[in-house]
Amino acid sequence: MQSKSIYKVPNGKILKIFLEYDEKCNLINEIKITGDFFVYPEEAIELMENKLKNMLLEREHLLKKIRSIIKERDIQFIGLDAEGLTEGILMCKT
Amino acid sequence: MKEQWRLLQTDFNTAFTNMAIDRAVLVANSKGKISPTVRFYSWKPPAISIGYFQSLNEEVDLDACKKLGVDCVRRITGGGAVFHDKELTYSIVIPESHPQIPKNILESYRRICGAVIRGLQQLWIESKYVPINDIVVNGKKISGNAQTRKSKTVLQHGTVLMDVDVDKMFSLLKVPDEKIKDKLIADVKQRVTSIKHISGNDVSFENVAEAMKIGFEEEFGIELVKGTLTKKEIELTEMFERECFSTNEWNYRR
Repeated sequence: MQSKSIYKVPNGKILKIFLEYDEKCNLINEIKITGDFFVYPEEAIELMENKLKNMLLEREHLLKKIRSIIKERDIQFIGLDAEGLTEGILMCKT
Repeated sequence: MKEQWRLLQTDFNTAFTNMAIDRAVLVANSKGKISPTVRFYSWKPPAISIGYFQSLNEEVDLDACKKLGVDCVRRITGGGAVFHDKELTYSIVIPESHPQIPKNILESYRRICGAVIRGLQQLWIESKYVPINDIVVNGKKISGNAQTRKSKTVLQHGTVLMDVDVDKMFSLLKVPDEKIKDKLIADVKQRVTSIKHISGNDVSFENVAEAMKIGFEEEFGIELVKGTLTKKEIELTEMFERECFSTNEWNYRR
């Protein structure tokens, strides 16, 4: 199943997510995280997309995973945060 | 004696060359070969640049761009889509360790935007920095800015609007909801301004560049000395233009 969301991150930028997911298993197949935010270093967004593959589409799971990637790789978001990214992803599931 | 930085005034180039020069100067500076550099430039033909994280197909009406002869390029910096027409664009490349550059990214946006604000003061325009990356005059945006840091080196580039045509801009950019497009255009017209709108007359690129030169010199307490790209930077520019910025692989990668 393919889906897309547009989400204005509170106090941040516009996040647009393209998601391909398995409805039965509630798992992410592919994800593209786009928008007018900033990420330092920029390449971290592709790493984030890869690491979110096969993740369960469930708030606590996603938030924990995103936070751990940010910490592990020392990623800095500006105009975006872990909560906003999680929200944007879950909005694809309607 | 004041510290001397290099000033490049490359005037009008294509979007692909412009983005290649910024990246070439960034790479050359990160290898410690050149002094901090400030560049003033513009775009011919007019162009749309999109942020590193944006999707070209999602943000831009590519058919409209083709019809109007507008080029499209992906930047190496984040941020939003920008229609570059009647504007001065600046870029600054400087080591992260330079004492004038705050370590904190947002603080460094504020500092570099300070140079643009001082430059606008030279044109009798009072403006202020609004986080994350805007400069506004009476609440209306006159400048957008974007920064990347690679190999311990900062590149920030940004626009200073000399004139703005919001209708043309929206004929080139896609909006999330076509039904509210007219309202969106009306909103943006209320929220964007330019040197021409404020001062009531046309100010030339040269005059804006001279004002910005003074702005950067005052903000950083330095002297900008006119220079040219090094041979290595020219080679890097040609390579980045050919192998990156003019390719579909780069521009459509997200």
